[in-house]
Amino acid sequence: MTFINYVAREINCKIVYYGPGLGGKTTNLQHLYDITSAENKGKLISLATETERTLFFDFLPIDLGQIRGLRTRFHLYTVPGQVFYDASRKLILRGVDGVVFVADSQEERLDANLESLSNLAQNLKDHGFDLAKIPYVLQLNKRDLPNATPVEQLQRMLLVKGEPVFEAVATNGTGVLETLKGIARQVLVELRKSA
Amino acid sequence: MLVGRQPSMNLSNIILYEADYQRLKSILTMTQRDLPAELVLLIDRSGQQIAFEGSARDIDMTSLASLAAANIAATDGLARLVGEPEFSILYHQGKRRSIHISDVARRFSLVVVYDDSVSLGMVRLRVKRATVYLEEVFRGFTRRTETVGFAPRPAPETASPVYFTDDDIDKLFSFLKPGS
Repeated sequence: MTFINYVAREINCKIVYYGPGLGGKTTNLQHLYDITSAENKGKLISLATETERTLFFDFLPIDLGQIRGLRTRFHLYTVPGQVFYDASRKLILRGVDGVVFVADSQEERLDANLESLSNLAQNLKDHGFDLAKIPYVLQLNKRDLPNATPVEQLQRMLLVKGEPVFEAVATNGTGVLETLKGIARQVLVELRKSA
Repeated sequence: MLVGRQPSMNLSNIILYEADYQRLKSILTMTQRDLPAELVLLIDRSGQQIAFEGSARDIDMTSLASLAAANIAATDGLARLVGEPEFSILYHQGKRRSIHISDVARRFSLVVVYDDSVSLGMVRLRVKRATVYLEEVFRGFTRRTETVGFAPRPAPETASPVYFTDDDIDKLFSFLKPGS
């Protein structure tokens, strides 16, 4: 649910990074945190296990700048990718404005991608959202690995509705900002349509 | 939700005028002053902060709103697991500061941060009173939404700051460190 506060002159949007475990969702947020100037970001909160696996979510608020005099703030969340944390994943989708699906390009993670995508569609549905209608982009992460599946094959398997696709190597930042720009654009265009 | 001087359509069918915002704010002010609390924060269930009152400047309110909403969501899940419709109050007691989180109209939550000079009983009493007032405000604009439906779309570039062009969107992303 986008929250437009004309009194404080702010737009607040919620973006959720979704995808299979160890796919690079947290790494996306960490890179964005690293490249953002101090005055435009809040704390990066990670609710993780002792082994750095996301337990509940990561959270990073970013101020994108002004649009027609309104401060545009995006609240970025990740979900825990591991299958057994489904209850937590569903909770994070509450009030979401846009979703980034972070797919793991490695050949052996194809099934995990498909399972996570199906889980996303179901969890969105449970919140009253339709994956076919909500702002959504696909990020193909880990493009640098030797066992990466060809992009065309991944697109054939994972494309939902002709959404924008971004190739990424989140560990070195490649494609991370482009992905955020892609989803931010969609969310703002959607907001313009509905306002 | 929209907060504005002009009525507008929003994604979740609630219209909030600036006058409503001021009413919400005055309820928070009253609650904060009467306790006194360090911070009284009204959030929605997705973790967005709507209004606050208090002087706890050392608290990161964006993070607080996000974590409180997650806490509420997780507690809702726990309630359902044990067959309860809800646990309407969350309470965390610290040595110096405590946090009281309560439901407002099943859609919002009131977060109160207070120090050890304030008793839990007093917090519950004031929160209960504030909740009645807050729910009345929320009922008001829900009714109004049902009555008037969605407001007519304002003329582009004149009435709604939500109107913006693709160029405006392109100009965003000024948040990067130089050289990124």
